[in-house]
Amino acid sequence: MLSDILRQCVVIFALCAAGAVYTLVSGLAPRPWIAPELAPGEIRVSDARVLDAIWVDTRTIEAYEAGHIPDALFLSEDAWESGLFELMDLWLTAPRPIFVYCDTEQCGTSERIAARLREAVPEMEVYSLRGGWAAWQQ
Amino acid sequence: MAAVNSTRAWFLLIGRLLVSAAFILAALPKIQDPVAFAASVDGFRVVSGQLTLWVALFLPWLELIIGLGLLIPQIRLGSGLLIAFLLAVFIGLHLSAWGRGLDITCGCFSTKRSEAPPNYLWLLIRNSSLLGATLAILAGDWQSLRRGKETKKPAP
Repeated sequence: MLSDILRQCVVIFALCAAGAVYTLVSGLAPRPWIAPELAPGEIRVSDARVLDAIWVDTRTIEAYEAGHIPDALFLSEDAWESGLFELMDLWLTAPRPIFVYCDTEQCGTSERIAARLREAVPEMEVYSLRGGWAAWQQ
Repeated sequence: MAAVNSTRAWFLLIGRLLVSAAFILAALPKIQDPVAFAASVDGFRVVSGQLTLWVALFLPWLELIIGLGLLIPQIRLGSGLLIAFLLAVFIGLHLSAWGRGLDITCGCFSTKRSEAPPNYLWLLIRNSSLLGATLAILAGDWQSLRRGKETKKPAP
């Protein structure tokens, strides 16, 4: 009985492997062993860590209070004006790149806020952190 | 007794078709867009980086094959066991994400991102029901196999 089940599982996993090969060959998915390219306006954690920048945290206030990148500024879309003024103060004192982050690659808030910042102050050099807070913690 | 067995067989068949359809329908959008599914996997914050892409590459095919396999006599027991295992893992992941207060996109039947917060209770009820149906199917298959083996035994 156990050998029957094992044999069935081998067949199932072999079919899965064939399916996964089809996905790769047909170009539906990038090769997992190749690091993905960055989208425009994104920056990798490894690059961001070594740069002097202003960090902007766009997660919830609870998440920010529980832990954030050192010296990161909390910026919420609900309190956009006050947050933007605070950020402008920092940036005008010492102009440098601004790195915006949210929870994970999936959250999307950082891309949205980065776009708003670029629109509000086109002189600012704004990037969204790829992988967000989750990537920073690794 | 024969009527009871017949009703039970019908229920098991319906359960088998439902579980099979659920897995096939869940797999198809993910196979078409593994990159979007990788983003959903990433949202659970259990695996990260390139491992996320590997999961997004294999898991949809596994779901499709075991969904179909539940209807194919040659691999239905293995498929049933893998479905039960996957459902238990999904339940664990949803409980864990709920406990951590994550704003996930389930990625269960669609790879599109939802603006609405996840309905964890519904996800848990749905997966638990599917798990219950799968366990009933497995029990039925197990009994059929045992009965088949007993009838094959030569009379003493």
